[in-house]
Amino acid sequence: MIYAPAMRVFRPALATAAVLAIAGAAPDDFDVRTQIGPNPVLPAPQQYLLPPMHLASVVGWKAGETPKAGADLRVEALATGLEHPRSIYTLPNGDVLVVESRGPGIEPYSRPKNIVMNWVESIVTSSGQTTGSNRITLLRDTNGNGKPDLRTVFLDHLNSPFGVALVGNDLYVADTDAILRFPYTEGETSITAPGTVLTPLPGGPIDHHWTKSLVASEDGTKLYVGVGSNSNIMENGLGAELDRAAIWEVDRATGAHRIFASGLRNPNGLSWEPTSHALWTVVNERDELGPNLVPDYLTSVKDGGFYGWPYSYYGQHLDPRVQPQRPDLVAQAIVPDYALSSHVAPLGLAFDTGHGLPSRYAGGAFVGEHGSWNRQILNGYKVVFIPFKDGKPNGIAEDVVTGFLDGEGHARGRPVAVALDKTGALLIADDVGNAVWRVTSASQVQATITPP
Amino acid sequence: MDRDDSVVVVRPGWHPLFQILVSFPIACFTGALLTDIAYARSADMLWADFSAWLLAAGMVTGLLAGIAGLVDVVAKRRIWPLWQRLTLVIGGMLVLTLALFDNLVHSRDAWTSVVPAGLALSAITVFIMLVTAWLGAPKSYRRVVAVQQTGVRQ
Repeated sequence: MIYAPAMRVFRPALATAAVLAIAGAAPDDFDVRTQIGPNPVLPAPQQYLLPPMHLASVVGWKAGETPKAGADLRVEALATGLEHPRSIYTLPNGDVLVVESRGPGIEPYSRPKNIVMNWVESIVTSSGQTTGSNRITLLRDTNGNGKPDLRTVFLDHLNSPFGVALVGNDLYVADTDAILRFPYTEGETSITAPGTVLTPLPGGPIDHHWTKSLVASEDGTKLYVGVGSNSNIMENGLGAELDRAAIWEVDRATGAHRIFASGLRNPNGLSWEPTSHALWTVVNERDELGPNLVPDYLTSVKDGGFYGWPYSYYGQHLDPRVQPQRPDLVAQAIVPDYALSSHVAPLGLAFDTGHGLPSRYAGGAFVGEHGSWNRQILNGYKVVFIPFKDGKPNGIAEDVVTGFLDGEGHARGRPVAVALDKTGALLIADDVGNAVWRVTSASQVQATITPP
Repeated sequence: MDRDDSVVVVRPGWHPLFQILVSFPIACFTGALLTDIAYARSADMLWADFSAWLLAAGMVTGLLAGIAGLVDVVAKRRIWPLWQRLTLVIGGMLVLTLALFDNLVHSRDAWTSVVPAGLALSAITVFIMLVTAWLGAPKSYRRVVAVQQTGVRQ
């Protein structure tokens, strides 16, 4: 690539701010609610000598503790003692698949910062040093009391799996490096048949964002896969980002793929909005531009759309860390539909298409927010609800399930994926608390626990 | 160079530990300036990664050299003019302080880990390092030799 002499692109203002700004020097009295909704307030980018960091150290759930929900809801553990559960899929017969998964851990130490950040990450994620992860556990509730009475290892020895999708008798599992297809018969509690690779996905080397979210089209002909970027903001070079920061469309018959949408730094929770039947996703935006940049978001995904990463965010806001820039792409960058505020780390999305929750949730979106590290005041660490009307967000996000942090800001757990079970109850994967939580309507629970 | 060697020979027990150690940060910080320039001209992350490692290595070896240098400054105070010892101490501390900031700037991601603040800090670091070396350490050796020879004659 021909490259213009870089020295021309000096930004004296940014440089001064960069040298002077020291982490945590300025009190953060920013109102995060101004970054929730379709028009987030975007402060000027800041660069630091030490980025603001606040890590919620892990304390776990004590016996009997659960997350908290509003008065109209009730939270119970569906399963505990899991190994880093990150994703959930409900099979047609009501069996719940819990994807227990660990990162591939193959990111090389390309510079000293990687060593420090690796250590930091080991504090904030209960990495599940046990050997049991990278498998799918099946939970079955045979008597309908909301408590599973059968628990089996459904699929084992996977490679950092995340997404699951069933089409007919084909069960697809998105490992970090490939979509695998397994034969599935309704009622099976374990699959021993070897999987077939449908489509290889960008995995190593590096594999910075490794979770591959997966959803099948409503007619079952296509699969959509979220493929996160291989860096925060291109610090591993452009070559590492080939076909990443994108949602792939995979032909289910042939395995051929094309880029459906791009510029999505780390898209997860791919889901179909129930009225418009459009594809929606939640996206983790970039770090280290300040405690209030860049807001993570929830958005519909347009075929062929470009959403900015790495060159710009929220449309045409240029990221000063990316050279060479691409004005041609920035000009096309789509502004996402709905900001969730900065660093909340949304990893799960589910629309309320069932009848198990109070009617005010009908048709809206639940988002699992794994929680922040790149700001002094913790943000996220909860499940929020965004009401929808006519296929679009309609109103401010509200906290639905909280209590993942204790009073001192320690993490009992961290929510990841959310899904509905067959009864319409909301399930939450908690990869730090090593549990799956089940949220039901408070009134309905009374009915279901009445002895038959 | 002959004279420098003669100092070591005539004063057994004076190991040139500082001189050995200080060559590492000098090479590392100079190298980091060159790789910073290469990155600013190419935007190829390879060079920025080199800079980050060189600055980290320069920082570690620089601290070790600094400790050895302080020992020398105290031990040789009778044969080493005060202003030169001060030059070395102040210059050395300035270099390490700048390098610390440069390390932090280089821990940012991509372009702004180097341009402009990182590159500027690398350049200033090397400049102060050269000035310190010119005014501080090398001249002192000539003085050491002179003092020694005078002492022998008397």
